Amino acid sequence: MVLAAGDVTDFLSVNLTTIIATWLNLLILFLVLKHFLFDRVNKVIESRKNEVANTYKEADEAKENARRLEAEYDSRISGAKEESAQIIQAATKKAQQRSDEIISDAKREAKGIAEQSRVEIEREKKIAVNKIKDDIADIAFSAAQAVIEKDFNSKDNEKLIEQFIDNVGEV
Amino acid sequence: MTDIGNGPKIVFELFDGKIQVTETVVMGWLIIAVVLLLCLWLTKDLKKIPEKKRQVLAEMFVNFVNDMVRQNMGEKLMCYAPYIGALLISAVLGALISLVGLRSMTADINVTATWALMTFILITFHKIKANGIGGYFKGFAKPVAFILPLNLISEVATPASMAFRLFGNVAGGMVITGLLYGCLGALSSALHLSFEMGSWAFNVFQVGIPAVLSIYFDLFSGCIQAYIFSMLTMVNVGAAAEEP
Repeated sequence: MVLAAGDVTDFLSVNLTTIIATWLNLLILFLVLKHFLFDRVNKVIESRKNEVANTYKEADEAKENARRLEAEYDSRISGAKEESAQIIQAATKKAQQRSDEIISDAKREAKGIAEQSRVEIEREKKIAVNKIKDDIADIAFSAAQAVIEKDFNSKDNEKLIEQFIDNVGEV
Repeated sequence: MTDIGNGPKIVFELFDGKIQVTETVVMGWLIIAVVLLLCLWLTKDLKKIPEKKRQVLAEMFVNFVNDMVRQNMGEKLMCYAPYIGALLISAVLGALISLVGLRSMTADINVTATWALMTFILITFHKIKANGIGGYFKGFAKPVAFILPLNLISEVATPASMAFRLFGNVAGGMVITGLLYGCLGALSSALHLSFEMGSWAFNVFQVGIPAVLSIYFDLFSGCIQAYIFSMLTMVNVGAAAEEP
């Protein structure tokens, strides 16, 4: 049977044209889908996936960095605390030392002043005693002069008076 | 209702009838045109962060096919994803064009047989690639020699069953829907509810009732069989590529 355009074929007829055309159609559809859909969409999905992965990586890195900085600051702060304690301790020690020094200096000075005073007093005392001795000698001399009413040899007198005064001093 | 059990119409001829282009082929071209336009529209200005619904749609479809291929064929056969997508789209659209009154593309044994033959070629190619040509022929006599004829039959039965499953489902649906239309038309005439307008007749019972069956045979069966055909192709080719 020869078929023309508009005729219908048999239900299970094999048509080589249809087979080849179908195969070509499938091939064309494959290429169309590959170039215009899959390649394009896959590229976008891939780039998005990369970006997400990158973002996550960056976030992780930032987190890690922050943790590291925190640890660093922590250690720094604790170091500073230790240092300040050390400084305070050293200052306290230095102040103690200084105060001790000052006190000992003052003590020494006071001691010196006391010693000097004592020496002065001693000297004054000696002067005073000598002066009293002289005064007494004068008094005794004038008293004796008055009693005897006579001018002694000055040398003899003085010897006598000295003796007298010594006797008085011992008394 | 003379076209119930018939093949596709011949649309035009070339070279004095040596090349007869049938409805089936024209439907194939139509599908290619529709898919091409759809792809161009869907992939217009794709963004890293999707802004338009059509990009989400395109990504959904691509991801669906990619995931299927990855699960059934493995990462190294991902290059088949567009082929599986092409099969799926051809089979689904080929069945669904019957909804707009055109003849289903997959109701032609030539189409399903071509696709099944393609699957067979891919299976054989991957088997030879995986086992070497000697290993491929020896594989038929395993595990014992006398099983050879059975293995040969099963090798041929795979594409044959695939071709006839898809063809049978769609063509069967078409025949049953056609019969139902005829039946309802006859019923309408018998009850004087058929109104003829020239060569075209309006039959009351033909409104609504066939839609119920059409939902099953055209929509459901068409999609499921398309999915099964793609799935079988993936599983068989994937298994062939994995054989030691």
